[in-house]
Amino acid sequence: MKLMKALKRTAMIGMTGALAFSLVACSGKTEEKASDNNAGSKSDSPVSIIVTNGKGEIDAQFKEAAKAFMDANPDIKVEVNSTAVGDTLNVFDKLTASGKVVTLAMFEPYAALNKYKDVGIDLSNEKWVAETTSALTNAEGQVVGFPFAVEGMGLVYNQKVMDKAVGGTFDPFTINTQDELKELLDKVKATEGVKAPVAYQTEAWSVGNHYSSLFLNQVEDPATLVNDLKAGSVDLAGNDIWNGYYNTLELLTSEEYNEFGKRPIGQYYDAAHLAVGKGESAILFNGNWAYDSLKAVAGDTFGFMPVAVDNNPDNPVNNKIAVGPTQVLVVNKKASEAEQAAAKKFLDWIVFDEAGQDFVVNKSQVISAFKNNPNTVTNPLGIAIADAIGKDRTMHFTTNFINAADWPTTVGPEVQKLIAKQSSKEDLAKYMENYFKNQQ
Amino acid sequence: MTHRKKNLANMGNSLLFLGPTTVFFTLTVLIPFIYGLYITFNRMATPVDPMVFAGLENYVNAVKDTKFWESLWLTLRFVVATVFFVNLVGFGLAYLVTSGIRIQNSLRTAYFTPNLIGGLVLGYIWQFIFVQTLPSLGEKLGIEWLELGWLGDPTMAFWSLVIVTIWQTSGYMMIIFIAGLVSIPKDLMEAARIDGAGPFRRLINVTIPLMIPSFVVTIFLSLKNAFMVYDLNFSLTKGGPFGSTEMVSMHVVNKAFVEANYGTGQAEGIILFIIVAIVTGIQVYSSKKMEVEA
Repeated sequence: MKLMKALKRTAMIGMTGALAFSLVACSGKTEEKASDNNAGSKSDSPVSIIVTNGKGEIDAQFKEAAKAFMDANPDIKVEVNSTAVGDTLNVFDKLTASGKVVTLAMFEPYAALNKYKDVGIDLSNEKWVAETTSALTNAEGQVVGFPFAVEGMGLVYNQKVMDKAVGGTFDPFTINTQDELKELLDKVKATEGVKAPVAYQTEAWSVGNHYSSLFLNQVEDPATLVNDLKAGSVDLAGNDIWNGYYNTLELLTSEEYNEFGKRPIGQYYDAAHLAVGKGESAILFNGNWAYDSLKAVAGDTFGFMPVAVDNNPDNPVNNKIAVGPTQVLVVNKKASEAEQAAAKKFLDWIVFDEAGQDFVVNKSQVISAFKNNPNTVTNPLGIAIADAIGKDRTMHFTTNFINAADWPTTVGPEVQKLIAKQSSKEDLAKYMENYFKNQQ
Repeated sequence: MTHRKKNLANMGNSLLFLGPTTVFFTLTVLIPFIYGLYITFNRMATPVDPMVFAGLENYVNAVKDTKFWESLWLTLRFVVATVFFVNLVGFGLAYLVTSGIRIQNSLRTAYFTPNLIGGLVLGYIWQFIFVQTLPSLGEKLGIEWLELGWLGDPTMAFWSLVIVTIWQTSGYMMIIFIAGLVSIPKDLMEAARIDGAGPFRRLINVTIPLMIPSFVVTIFLSLKNAFMVYDLNFSLTKGGPFGSTEMVSMHVVNKAFVEANYGTGQAEGIILFIIVAIVTGIQVYSSKKMEVEA
């Protein structure tokens, strides 16, 4: 009996304690953060930095690189947090909301200049700025973003099928008018073993973020056109290039040429890449990351060709593929000075240290934005991009100029409606004009 | 004195048994809920931004958001379809595997298995079936309406979601129905038989009225599941084609986290909570009244 009583009393005290503790735990966050910052400023103790990686597919390589960097710099501790592939929630938001200070954050360029415009510090005086043309600058001309990855997009083609179709080695830059594209599609269609010349996945992010931003390249600096759109002074329905892109899209998704033409919208990502990989189809629209899905079936080579939007062979957009930095690293101004210095050291390591160069290009198969990097990727689509850069056949990666975060749920589905013939080009033009007008 | 001691002892008992649950319920449900409510009255562009009091602005935006109401209407249709079919199929299966057929134990396991597969994985598996398997079957057998991928047509994509939900959850409901069916007193059934009731009569007039408690549970569960569906929606259709199968949960998540509109998204979440609470409340209250004593 006595024992029972004692037990009960202990339990009661325990429970009260647990309740009290949970209350204390909620209010204890701020203190912790303050002590973290203090620890960072002491020069003799190791500095801890948190790095976020937006490319979930290279999580393992990134962590390995952090380890190599830590071995070389024992006074710095690097903690890597990656966004899971396909995760909609930003890892930077999550960490920040839980009271942590991310030192080095990977953002898409548009987010770095808009949603997170107050995060970054001025990196203009860093040594690596001289080695790249892709550094992200803000409206004041300061370098705020370290270009981590360069990527490109265009019409991906299967070289083997194309060679067979044209009877010889296919040169992607010979297709610079809509008529030639159509002629090519007819030739591919007549080729033995081809079910349909195009197998395009038409997912919202692809037809939206990527394809539907390309028209911004009709001016030298897409940002000016975006500003005009936001001001409401652009008539998209009357814009020839804009219309041209959707005429070409109609061609690419038509019943005549598209594998899925009878019902062009669906979940076709895997099916489309399998078809082009196997050579049952020859063309789809995507970026260099598509290689992972293509190579799963064949060791064939693939390349990019421009999207022709009219019949003027001298139109720049008909002759170029979109290439640009898609992920930039930003140093958080909320981090302590020692942490910022450590982050800058890590960036230098990526650019100038052999192990860093190896990590980006050879291990992660990311196209480096830095001309001092001697390595080249082995991915054929990466080679095609390097090739286009060498030939000066590149234009802006226009997805960087739009709010890529919400296009898959806003503009993307509207473009899909057009493809499925549920709406007209005029409807889409009006929707996009309104969309831009409502941006701030 | 003894009275007080007894009270204290009682309190100790309650704390011992209710304490841990209360702590975790508070940590995982109550505090986030109250904090969520607080967010809806504030404006904040990113989680880093300081919150600015905005009154009812977020609720006004939520009410004005036509896409929210469209997705809610879609969800309601989904709820009606799945609640009806899941319970019908679940009850049918339970009736089958308690009828005394020889392999009924293996059948029970088989029907329950789909429920052990997570919604995300299930979505990807069925995506393959709807986009590749069925169309190639249709091609081989010459069935025209099967030849095209299901997920590209708004109506078919909607029914794809319903079919997968039935496949996933009716096995679980079956278990609840089995428990109800085996607890029906044998003497009642015997009495009905002696009175000359055929199998159908017995089902309608004896079994089903006695199964009401089971139905209260299964309808509540399937209602709640259907209102809150997200994982399957995400992996099977991603809300497509062109946003036509975007259920309300997905809309709320997109609003808050994809379009970075935390306040409005949270306000829509609260509105959804109120609607679901009212609907399930009415359901439980009214079906409790239908219960009969054996």
